[in-house]
Amino acid sequence: MDKKIVVIAELFEGRIQPATPEVIAFARLLQGMDPRELHMIVAGQGVESAARELAFRSGFDVTALEGEGLDPYSAEAFKEALVPLLADRKPKYICLPHTARGCDLAPGLAVALDAACITAVEGLQEVEGSVTFLRSLFKGKVIMEVASETETTVLTVLPGAFRKMDHAAGREGDLEVLHTDCAPRRTKPLGPGAAGVEQLNLSEAEVIVSAGKGVGKEENLELIRQLAELFPKAAIGGSRLVCDLGWLGYQHQIGITGKTVSPRLYIACGISGAIQHVSGMQDSQCIVAINKDPHAAIFRVADYIIVDDLLTFIPLLIETCRLSQPSP
Amino acid sequence: MKILVCIKQVLDDIPIRLDERNLWIEAEVSPIYRMNHFDEYALEEALRIRDTHADVTIDVLSVGPVRVSQTLKKGLEMGANEGIHILIEGEGYRSPFEIASLIAQYARCRSYDLILTGIMAEDDMQCQVGPLVAELLEYPCATAVISERLCRDEQAIYVEREIENGRRETLEITLPALITIQSGINRPRYPALSHVLRAKIQSLVVIAAGESTRSKPRDRIVRLTYPQASAKGIVLTGSPREKASEILRILHEKSLL
Repeated sequence: MDKKIVVIAELFEGRIQPATPEVIAFARLLQGMDPRELHMIVAGQGVESAARELAFRSGFDVTALEGEGLDPYSAEAFKEALVPLLADRKPKYICLPHTARGCDLAPGLAVALDAACITAVEGLQEVEGSVTFLRSLFKGKVIMEVASETETTVLTVLPGAFRKMDHAAGREGDLEVLHTDCAPRRTKPLGPGAAGVEQLNLSEAEVIVSAGKGVGKEENLELIRQLAELFPKAAIGGSRLVCDLGWLGYQHQIGITGKTVSPRLYIACGISGAIQHVSGMQDSQCIVAINKDPHAAIFRVADYIIVDDLLTFIPLLIETCRLSQPSP
Repeated sequence: MKILVCIKQVLDDIPIRLDERNLWIEAEVSPIYRMNHFDEYALEEALRIRDTHADVTIDVLSVGPVRVSQTLKKGLEMGANEGIHILIEGEGYRSPFEIASLIAQYARCRSYDLILTGIMAEDDMQCQVGPLVAELLEYPCATAVISERLCRDEQAIYVEREIENGRRETLEITLPALITIQSGINRPRYPALSHVLRAKIQSLVVIAAGESTRSKPRDRIVRLTYPQASAKGIVLTGSPREKASEILRILHEKSLL
């Protein structure tokens, strides 16, 4: 594993999580700029068959790190099991998904391995022979290009930033099975909690009208509702911020920690376009964005850009629509 | 019980531009600063622990230049007992590892039972400082906490973490521990008048982070850029009424309306 690119796979209840193929795609791009061998680690209990499947599908050599103490997941046990393996084998890059678990693990791994930690990577480029990683700042208004200064670098890869590739592996990867006794001593995982949020089937809506901070006050959500009513099979969505403020329940939240949707039409109202939200709706077939800030990052993913104050524009839109309906 | 809440001062949502060296940003007009809202949730959670348990003190801490004192004062207004300012010179980016090293250095011999931070900062969204501090202090750590309560006679803390798809993971970690707080865990309170008055006269504890304590950087900003303008979007023009008619026409053509 010396100086290799290592992907740490994420499994949940034995199933490979969708973020993992995206990290694999990222690792291949990285290999294209900094040619070195690819490797994968799958840690947990009873992970050998998932590891075998990944070796077969991806062509990576895979290490299955088996241990009773690794199930259920705890950062403590995972770090204790992974660090000696990684310290011994000294990869150049360790790639995890930027998921709740990836973010839980990555910084601690970096400290233990004297590595740089670069999170929420959404792009990479080669500059004068070395790779720099791109990430967003200030709600998507600025891109930061970061280079590592250490021999090993831990990276977390933003979900939705890299499309999984259908890669004809060409070779079947080798599988190595290691066992570990690591068990958490200061952590006691207690299993899943009650689902926090009542389910709302946003993925069935053909049209989603979404509210962001620009809506201003809870009362203004009425405009969003009226706009949604113009369309058949429409639903209301919101950014996390609007849900945190209590204006909408979390079942309406769209984004990295909420739902990912791809309706026929997505109307983003007063949404800044920070990547945490955008990654949850960027695959919508048609995106209309209304925001009074001409530099809002949402306009980069929008098909139709309306720079206007939604508080005046939406009523106008509703009125214009109603006027053009034939009278009953 | 000693609680430490780490807070970050961030720029309010005002127009910004790259600075002349493209290595950081500056406000286009007079800058306005405020507390990172994830840290507001963290501080409120600490205050709720103090409200319901005996003998709890809360220190609020921030690393930054002189201007950061204003946000620490806000922390005192919300009810923290003490404000700690780790003073660094100059504007510009400091990596999470540098910040975490300074916090850990301060906290190391001060026996905090519980450290809380927001899950991330709104400006750079790195989600690192909390878990880095925990690892440097060898504290067990739980991130993205959406619910918590002390248990086992305050020797441990039970937490629920928010994970993907609306699910939660639950666990207990022994104290001393560090937890990072997800937004929406609570509703931050309005400052009580008594705290506001006290904050006006109370001094912060100011510790200058000397250059000698600066840890070797593990990464560096090569440059900042503006994102490329997308080729994708069509900007609607004209009066608002004209734009409204135009978008309705477009949506009608696409059979979306």
